Amino acid sequence: MTARAEPGEDPRAFRTLTSHFLHALFDFGILSEAAADSFKRLLVSSIGAFVATGLFLTRVYAGRYEALRGGASPEPYRRAVLGDDLLLIGLPMLLVAFVTLLISDSLFPDERDFRILGPLPVRRTTVFAAKLAALLIFTASFIVIVHLALVPLKLLTSFSRWSPHSVVWRLITWIIAGGAASTFAVLAIAALVGTLVLVLSRSRLQSLTAIMRSAAFAVLVVSVPFVFRLPTLGAAVANGSTWLTFVPPVWFLGLERTLVGDANPWFARLATIAVAVAAVAVGSVAIAYAVLFRHFERLILRATKAPRGFRTEGARARVRLPPPFRAVYQFTAATLRRSQLHQGVLVGISACGAGLVINRLAGVNAGWLLAGGAAHAALTGAALWMPFVLMCACGVALRAALALPMEYRANWIFRLTEADATRLDQLCGVERLVAIYVVGVPVAISSPLLWLALGSNAAIAVPVVVLIGFVFVHAVLLHWRRIPFTCSYLPGKRFLAHTLVLATIAYSLFTIIAVALVRTAMSDARRAVIIIAALAIVAAVLRRRRRAVWTVTPLMFEDELPEYPLQLQL
Amino acid sequence: MLEARGLTKRYGPFLALDRVDFHLRRGEILGYLGPNGSGKSTTVNLVVGLIEPTAGSLWLDGRPVSDDPIAYRRRIGYVPEEPHLYTHLTATEYLMLVGRLRGLGEQTLIEKVPALLRLLLLWDSHYATMTAYSKGMRQRVLLAAALLHNPDLLVLDEPFSGLDVTAGLLFRTLLQLFAANDRMVLFSTHRFDIVQQLCSRVLILARGRIAAQHEVASFRDAAMPSLEDVFVRATGQDDFTPVARQILDVMQLV
Repeated sequence: MTARAEPGEDPRAFRTLTSHFLHALFDFGILSEAAADSFKRLLVSSIGAFVATGLFLTRVYAGRYEALRGGASPEPYRRAVLGDDLLLIGLPMLLVAFVTLLISDSLFPDERDFRILGPLPVRRTTVFAAKLAALLIFTASFIVIVHLALVPLKLLTSFSRWSPHSVVWRLITWIIAGGAASTFAVLAIAALVGTLVLVLSRSRLQSLTAIMRSAAFAVLVVSVPFVFRLPTLGAAVANGSTWLTFVPPVWFLGLERTLVGDANPWFARLATIAVAVAAVAVGSVAIAYAVLFRHFERLILRATKAPRGFRTEGARARVRLPPPFRAVYQFTAATLRRSQLHQGVLVGISACGAGLVINRLAGVNAGWLLAGGAAHAALTGAALWMPFVLMCACGVALRAALALPMEYRANWIFRLTEADATRLDQLCGVERLVAIYVVGVPVAISSPLLWLALGSNAAIAVPVVVLIGFVFVHAVLLHWRRIPFTCSYLPGKRFLAHTLVLATIAYSLFTIIAVALVRTAMSDARRAVIIIAALAIVAAVLRRRRRAVWTVTPLMFEDELPEYPLQLQL
Repeated sequence: MLEARGLTKRYGPFLALDRVDFHLRRGEILGYLGPNGSGKSTTVNLVVGLIEPTAGSLWLDGRPVSDDPIAYRRRIGYVPEEPHLYTHLTATEYLMLVGRLRGLGEQTLIEKVPALLRLLLLWDSHYATMTAYSKGMRQRVLLAAALLHNPDLLVLDEPFSGLDVTAGLLFRTLLQLFAANDRMVLFSTHRFDIVQQLCSRVLILARGRIAAQHEVASFRDAAMPSLEDVFVRATGQDDFTPVARQILDVMQLV
């Protein structure tokens, strides 16, 4: 894409702006120069991770396809291929949607572009074209990388004596349909953001966009287990189950099958849906860009209106709590409410826990209500496991969100007012928030299921779960010496694989021990009393110790690398 | 009275501030002038306690600040050069945050915050987050935050940048009345005109040292050299014509 320069406009303006917008896609405004470099390394290594995942999946599927090739009839192969083709379309869609959501702030020219580029001799057409070009380059590159990583798996599924189509033709149609599916994912998110930009006032845009983004992020994360279950849908696709018309990757599978030459009218109908929804998404984005282009000043610079029902914070401030506690608590809550990045991290990682829970619950047969027996045992297991998985996910999510800085250089006010006498109150504000989110939310979500699965035993299980949660709060706040969002941040401080292995071990140990404790407490009243008393004592001791450390240890405003094993004391 | 005794700050091998001595009496507005890199911001950061001196000390009312730095910080208000604020908060929320960090009670804040916002002409925008604020509006929020806890000493680093004429005049009058109330103002700036209109005394800093100090009243005497002359001589930047010519030459390169 190129834009013709107007008289007086530098002919290189389009290229320069495209390059600028491409770099700006990853400008989250929170990273220092060192951290930005670190983030770039993380991005490059994530490309390696895609490729490795593609090869790993190929390795996993190799045995299965070997068996299918040697089978007596083509039907099992046909069904397996339908399911796996669905995964090969759905997985890139999901990954592309994630990344598009990550850069959704930069999908349309905004006020900053208007203010910075407005006074320069650059046409608006050039600005819009450069923005669009940057987006196209980035999304196209990402779509290509993701599909390239999955080529070995596609080839594996295509080489078979039962395959009625040539390998090359299958590959080409997959690239077309898969590319269309991923592009649809980008366009759907862009259409949503575009609509919000056009419809909302400036004052509401920030908060509602943040909520929309977090909700979309949560939906994507929760859909991860469903995407990995797509290969099991081969039979349902082959039978033309009606409910599948509500699953987006299935539309594009229909497109692929139609392109490859499958005459089944069910696939033709799905292909029609795919083309129609893609056209609607293209149309919506085109309209959003066109309206924004024509009325840029009016839309971007429209007056800020008072939100309906707005009250000053002071009017709500009635609770008797120390001022430093309130300061940090309110600041943290307001930031989590308004910052898209922090909310995205919080919701995204928490949704991972929700995804795991939904995945496990989906495997539990609901017939236990009538039959009892094994299915009931499975539900009890899932119900006992659920709060601890959610605690882990919420704990990691909250800690990650609180560690990311916000307007880093504005932290001078916290540095200026730091004092031994008030530090404890400030950090107790953080502790309260952690306790609510890491203990309160999981327990509130899990309680109905615990009551349903355990009956009266839940009266013992719930207090034990709560106390384990309070002990877990200590793990979340281990070495925590920060006011949320005020400390610089170095991403990728530790080797990723090392962190993942440690996290997996910690998660497994925590959930196994916690579930065992609850089961033991439920088995006998005396044991229950001992466990509850022991947990209460441990939680109280850890809390007291943590608070004692906070009283004497200064706050942290500069992130540090974990340790320097190479320092020599010569 | 605030006193700096041999204030020195070293960043590795770089000496940013070299044995600076000055005092600031109650009722006084002390102008602190100097070219970029002369050590003005370092002095301000030392005075507000954001950094520690390598050597030397600060004294307030005859006591070293290091004896009780927290009590000292409670007595100062600070307006930084750049309006670094949490712009995702509204002005009200930011002032409530600052007030609570300063230990003010809720009732006091509920009374003070709206009053300050009204007086500083920010009330109409008090429901909007500060992302939408101009630089001048952010400066006014910072001034409100600096005054919220009724400080003894105001440390201002270029507070007039971005302010419109009305707000500038209001600031000037406010600072004069503030100082007249037996309080102190340390005023770091680049602007000679404001120093002459506002300050009672001026310190000129060059290469990390005090190069000159004068009563501002002395510059009103036509027979004496102007503040600008004194500054140029003290900082050793006597003739800008060659540099100006070079800039024009570079500008005309094709």
